[in-house]
Amino acid sequence: MRKALAACLAASLSLGAVAEEAFIAPLVEQSVLLDIAATDYVVIVGERGHLLLSEDGDAFRQLPVPTQSTLTATTIQGDNIWAVGHDAVILHSADRGKTWEVQNFEPELQRPFLDVLFFNAQEGIAVGAYGLFYRTTDGGESWQAERHASLLDPLDREYLEDIREEDPDFYQQELNSILPHINRVTLDDGVIYLAGEAGLLAYSNNRGQDWERYEVDYTGSFFDVRPLDASTVLAVGLRGNMFVMRQNNNWQYVNTCSTSTLNSIYVASDNRVVALGNNGMLISAERPLPVSENDPYATNTRCEPAAGISTRQVEDKAALLNAVQFNGVTLAVSANGIKKMYLK
Amino acid sequence: MSSITQLIEKIIFSNRKVVVALFALATIFLGFQASQMRLDAGFEKNIPLNHEYMQTYMEHRKDFGGANNILVSVCDKNGNIYNQNFFDTLKNVHDQLFFINGVDRSLVISLFSPSTRFTEIVEGGFAGGPVIPADFDSSNPRALDLVAANVEKANIVGRQVSSDYSCAMVTAQLLDLNPQTGEPLDTLAFAGELEKQLRDQYESDDISIHIIGFAKMIGDVADGAKDVVLFFAIAIAITGIMVFFFCRSLMLTVLPLLCSVIAVVWQLGLLTVLGFGMDPMSILVPFLVFAIGVSHGVQMINAVEKKAVGGVGAKRAAMGAFRSLLVPGGIALLSDTVGFMTLLVIDIGIIRELAITASLGVAVIILTNLLLLPVLMSFLKLDDDYISKFEGKERKHEAFWNAVAACSRKGPASMILLVTGVLFVFGYMQSQNMKIGDLHAGAPALHESSRYNQDTFLITDKYEVTVDYISILVETTPEACTSHSVMKAMDDFQWKMENVPGVQSSVSLASVAKTVNAGYNEGNVKWQVLPRNQQTLVQAISRVPTSSGLLNGNCSVMPIILFMEDHKAETISRVVDAVKMYRDQYETDDMTFSLASGPVGVMAATNEAVKAAQTPMMMYVFGAVIALCLISFRSVRATLVVVIPLYVVSVLAQALMTYLQIGLTVSTLPVIALGVGIGVDYGIYILSTKSLALKQGATVQQAYLAALKERGSAVLFTGITLAIGVSTWVFSSLKFQMDMGILLTFMFVVNMLGAIIVLPALARFLWWNRNDPDA
Repeated sequence: MRKALAACLAASLSLGAVAEEAFIAPLVEQSVLLDIAATDYVVIVGERGHLLLSEDGDAFRQLPVPTQSTLTATTIQGDNIWAVGHDAVILHSADRGKTWEVQNFEPELQRPFLDVLFFNAQEGIAVGAYGLFYRTTDGGESWQAERHASLLDPLDREYLEDIREEDPDFYQQELNSILPHINRVTLDDGVIYLAGEAGLLAYSNNRGQDWERYEVDYTGSFFDVRPLDASTVLAVGLRGNMFVMRQNNNWQYVNTCSTSTLNSIYVASDNRVVALGNNGMLISAERPLPVSENDPYATNTRCEPAAGISTRQVEDKAALLNAVQFNGVTLAVSANGIKKMYLK
Repeated sequence: MSSITQLIEKIIFSNRKVVVALFALATIFLGFQASQMRLDAGFEKNIPLNHEYMQTYMEHRKDFGGANNILVSVCDKNGNIYNQNFFDTLKNVHDQLFFINGVDRSLVISLFSPSTRFTEIVEGGFAGGPVIPADFDSSNPRALDLVAANVEKANIVGRQVSSDYSCAMVTAQLLDLNPQTGEPLDTLAFAGELEKQLRDQYESDDISIHIIGFAKMIGDVADGAKDVVLFFAIAIAITGIMVFFFCRSLMLTVLPLLCSVIAVVWQLGLLTVLGFGMDPMSILVPFLVFAIGVSHGVQMINAVEKKAVGGVGAKRAAMGAFRSLLVPGGIALLSDTVGFMTLLVIDIGIIRELAITASLGVAVIILTNLLLLPVLMSFLKLDDDYISKFEGKERKHEAFWNAVAACSRKGPASMILLVTGVLFVFGYMQSQNMKIGDLHAGAPALHESSRYNQDTFLITDKYEVTVDYISILVETTPEACTSHSVMKAMDDFQWKMENVPGVQSSVSLASVAKTVNAGYNEGNVKWQVLPRNQQTLVQAISRVPTSSGLLNGNCSVMPIILFMEDHKAETISRVVDAVKMYRDQYETDDMTFSLASGPVGVMAATNEAVKAAQTPMMMYVFGAVIALCLISFRSVRATLVVVIPLYVVSVLAQALMTYLQIGLTVSTLPVIALGVGIGVDYGIYILSTKSLALKQGATVQQAYLAALKERGSAVLFTGITLAIGVSTWVFSSLKFQMDMGILLTFMFVVNMLGAIIVLPALARFLWWNRNDPDA
């Protein structure tokens, strides 16, 4: 009885959520906004199905998209916009936001997508919690789930290999729950870089069919990874941790002296990057990035950041999620809404 | 009627000494009782307990605390709290407040309370502890550094620590009953303790202390109310001087004042006998009683003088005055009494007390000024010298009254009615814009520049939360907080409410659960959602203790707390309307969103009660006045000429309130009833002579002139005297007293003008067949 009721409720919820449009809120520009993407226009997504669009980076309008699920990431390909989020929702517009369709919605999965990446208007991937990995080759008409055991750390992979032969069903079940969260995928020159839970940094040379996991001396989570040039890749994550890879897949520690989690990397100019984080933290680093031998787990109360690194906080201390450059200004999204900044 | 009057007259005037002795004894007894009077203020008296919102409030007060809280902000004058002196003081303030009798000790919250904890996300999960560790040593700079770091992690900046780090807050909830005696908490004594034990003891060159909350506010009002004694003295002095100029006799000046003071003494004494205290909010009533007493006393001496001019001697003159004034004066006072009694229909304790206090006082005047006063005057010796002086004055007045009498001629009368009509239409339009509730920030009873309101402004400026919040109580089934659909409904509703202009921020179990869920996911904001998975939801909620005030023991009741930008009536009604609109979308058979708790919830209920009471109150007051006029004059026309000017004036008073931005509140609501009650006196006095003359066959003009000569100077005089007395309230340190002063001054003066000018103009047309041939 109870189960039936719950199922009924879930069904009505899922239908309801599809049918329900996002509430057009006067305060949407001050709500929790989680991702921003820009080409010649800007798209911002956030909690409760909030999706905003701007042509000039100044005036934003909220679009009545057909979901109330929290949207965590968005990407633009020409006139195509995709936005993904909780309840495994994938929204798509082929006409710069005029009309919207729900390409995927699976609340019963209880897993959110956390990032989305398209290689062109047809091919793309959406990634998220517990190794959630969906791929499309037809512009999102259909999405296929994939599981990438290669993202696991070596010990877990060994354990899974053991059971794979004995019990294929149990293997799939275990794989489904053991995979780490994928927090970010970035594309550069044909290589996808991936940042995830529990020290996960990986790359793929074939659009994410196969993954190679880096070895990093840190087991906390990474939230962004981004190549700065042909020989430098930067990763940021939990509690102010910042790592840089220059060659030989060798990740080195950059001491920021901050304990605020860093969510995104923003390339301000050719010689400066800024990491945006919780508590409104902005960590600005001059290149080349100074590396040190510090123990990443140390809780040092008297800390001196490395040369060329400076820290400041935005006034309201709201968590900063991501930022883009648009029309000469930096547009950032935060737990307190849109913030216009001038990061150089 | 007249035979009864004669009988009373006979009994009283043949036993004059007995009457005086009885009055003296009663005055001594009641004077003693009055000296035992205490100031008495209570939170619940100020709220409409039977209002729907307040039923919700009372029902859940045990779980979520009431609206009766106190906020103490300790500020460092150098602008940084992280120093030894500050933390020592803050600890002292916390401890001191904890031990003040009447504080709910489980709900004293500051940096020093063990429930103030921080949590931080580390690689392995959560780490946390009290913001101020047990081994805290304020003299160690590193300990202060640690606390500063913990404050950041605890996310309490803007709530327990001001946004600019110059202040920290200690908050407490008050109990309703004194835990030592079981009696209702003495709010005024409590407020005194706050001042003595916190401000006096800990405010210094480096530290300032700012205290707000209902108890402190009412304490400050009571302090301000002590000025009332001064105003009382000023009023007596002014009135005395005016009466002296009116009657030119020391004895005739002293007697009406004396009788009016006796009325006040009786009133206060009787209140004590009946077991009431004097509430600071109704401290003005004795004032009014005195003023009304004087107004009737002046009618009496005026009448005695007029009779004495006939050379009948003091005793006969007094008897004559008694006879001619007992009925009109009695009716006037009776309609005052009934008018005030109608305030009883308003279901707010303090207005009921006012109704009892005021009607009691007015009823007492019937005895002191219509009975005792003529008896006392009958002992006077009115010499010829005085009488001739009085006669000369009369002649001078006659010329004046002849001029005024033109008001009942056709031309001037039409003009007066036209102007009155225009004023009425204009006033009516303005009065429709009259606002309900408080129109200004801070405590409306006090001036903006008062310490209390300055403290309020400081706290609202430096912190993110205010005392202006309203809670909507989500009432549902036990363990409902583990249901995603319930929590989502709360969360969606809360977001819609946050978008209503006037709502500054909000908090509920749902919004906290989202933050905690992000916390469980390494503080990643992308996980700031309500988990659909029940175990995950339970995990998030289990970190929120019931002491947070966001859920009750079995989470069947969860408040959604909306912090408001201000408590202006418009803001409140906008938010309340939005609640009523949006909750329809979310309420189910098992889940209701009930209004309301929190200080603004109380205000919302009060505003609604005041608004609902306004029309019936006016109907009852006018109903009572109309009924009494009909009974005493036995004429619809006479009733109309008395009531129409009164109504016009009460509408104009409402227009004045709109114009001066005085909202209709618990303290201003009774003013119009009081104004009508007192205003009717003028009309009744004028008309009682006039209708008598009309009955005897006089024309309107003759009757009017007769009435003016007989009563006109007394009416003019009392109107001005009363107005001057209450207009001194403009200088009061209490804002509501000032507002009442302005409104009452207006009502006294304009009602007087209405009785002298508009009443005859109306009569000119109502008795169209009874005019002079040339009028």
